[in-house]
Amino acid sequence: MVPLLYYQLLSAALFGIGLYGVLARRSAVLIVLSIELMLNAVNINLIAAASYLNGIGRVIAIFVITVAAAEVGLAFAIILRMYRNRGTVNVDEINLLKW
Amino acid sequence: NLHLLTPEFALAGFALVVFLLDLFVPNDRKHLLGWLSALGLVGLAVLSVLMLSGEKESLYNGLLAVDDYSLFFKVFFLAIGVFIILSSIDYVKLHLNHPGEFYGLLLFSILGMNLMAMSRELLTAYISLELLSFSLYVMVAYALGNPKSNEGSLKYIIIGALSSAILLYGISMVYSTLGVTKFEAIAQSLIDLSSVSPALWAGLALVIAGLGFKLAAVPFHMWAPDAYEGAPLPVTAYLAIASKAAAFALVLRLLAEAFVPVTERWDQWQIIIVVLAALSMVVGNLVALAQSNLKRLMAYSSVGHVGYILAGIAVLAPDSLMGANGVIFYLVGYSVTSMVVFAALIAFFNATGQEEIPDLAGLADRQPFLAMAIAIGLFSLSGLPIFVGFTIKFYLFTAVANEGYLWLAGLAILTSLISLYYYLQVIRQMYIQPALVAPAQSDHDEVEAEEGASGEGEDDEHTHTPAHHESSADYIPLPRPSAALIFVVALGLIATIALGVYPAPLLELVEAASAAIIPGG
Repeated sequence: MVPLLYYQLLSAALFGIGLYGVLARRSAVLIVLSIELMLNAVNINLIAAASYLNGIGRVIAIFVITVAAAEVGLAFAIILRMYRNRGTVNVDEINLLKW
Repeated sequence: NLHLLTPEFALAGFALVVFLLDLFVPNDRKHLLGWLSALGLVGLAVLSVLMLSGEKESLYNGLLAVDDYSLFFKVFFLAIGVFIILSSIDYVKLHLNHPGEFYGLLLFSILGMNLMAMSRELLTAYISLELLSFSLYVMVAYALGNPKSNEGSLKYIIIGALSSAILLYGISMVYSTLGVTKFEAIAQSLIDLSSVSPALWAGLALVIAGLGFKLAAVPFHMWAPDAYEGAPLPVTAYLAIASKAAAFALVLRLLAEAFVPVTERWDQWQIIIVVLAALSMVVGNLVALAQSNLKRLMAYSSVGHVGYILAGIAVLAPDSLMGANGVIFYLVGYSVTSMVVFAALIAFFNATGQEEIPDLAGLADRQPFLAMAIAIGLFSLSGLPIFVGFTIKFYLFTAVANEGYLWLAGLAILTSLISLYYYLQVIRQMYIQPALVAPAQSDHDEVEAEEGASGEGEDDEHTHTPAHHESSADYIPLPRPSAALIFVVALGLIATIALGVYPAPLLELVEAASAAIIPGG
């Protein structure tokens, strides 16, 4: 069987890619997309660990999927409201609040 | 014995009832929903105390705990909810749409906070944290037309979602190295562990980072000033008081049940928290020196207070209750004082629509009660005696120094002194600066353009003072705040002074609470 380490490395790589996306993307929609990628990386880690260890991980993964979906719904509602008021989703241009 | 969860079920049902009633109540009577929610919360607090005092149970095979600690925080959160609702009824009537859903969301967030105080397992903690956070994301965005509210809530939700992803990754690393997620099971497997693998260190560090975001500890605090400034004032108060207290309740239980029992073997977790505490104290208080918006000032000052509380959390020990007592007592005292300050600021905003420090000029002449409330609240936050702020700081810093972290206690005292400067700046505006005269009469007044109140209905009629000249009093008088706000402020002031002078009854409750989570206390 593939060692658990490989799954952990895959999850870490995906998490890193998602983190890069959150930090470097300028569109708010793409930032939320990258956060979803990070949450999916967590899911991979949980399910892989559940196959090797006892098995709670699968339950946690289902909860994480649900919460991620709800979070995306809320995030897009707020981005939509932002777009209706300011006409842009470019986070560089949303800078009324400074320091 | 699920009957022990009755207050939570009742709260969830009550929140749904409020949402349902929102459909049927006519538009001009929606504020009755606020009074109904407040009444319901009082009833639930009484119910919880009657049903749950003295219980010590672990439900669902170790997921939720019903003990003195959770009862203390349950009553505490319900009380904060009542006071926030009472102070926000006028604000919501004047400035916000959809009041029924506002109160419903607040009730759900209180449910989330209760569950956070009760959770004994990482997934339960995460889910209840997300319940609280989702309600808060929406509440921060509630002033729909205000671009600052949109921006604050966008920053809050993006950084909040990022932090929950980081927290979850930490949970998954802890799970994949230890195989357990319940707090006591984590402590048990840490005791049996021969060496801690780097993956476990990474997992623990990520969990602390994720929780640090929720607490607004430095260097995870960047969302706090923007979210506090963008949110409507009652929501800022709720963020500063309740969400912080709930996150600390969670962190306290997590550390006390999972890491404190293994402190003799692995005490590296203390170092991480000590560094976070020192950074938060210093950065929070120093950056607050430069602020001119009241909400942003309170945000940075709350970051400083988070630093003090983290210092107390770093000194949790398996054999002494002082650290946990200090933390819980500090949370209560800080919440009471912040409630006073924020309620007075809400009253001021309801009357004038302004929220910058220079706008407070001459408040002592215009509305002496509010000025006194803000002054006492700020003196208490900086730690001056006879107010509760002094008692809580004294207790907490003594607990920190007792465990040997003298330099941390010294740093905390120094930053408290620094904080006195920016609190005094506000008090100086109120008591020493002359009040604005009416614009039609005087030729040397500054016309303050409010930047924060665009799109919100402000009562500008009050600035057109009648033209009769009163020689000693030609300032613009402020209308009296509503009865609910006066009640909240007065009660808060009495509590601030009473707890500062005679904290013993509260300390007994706090000791019972911390004895429930510290093993062998």
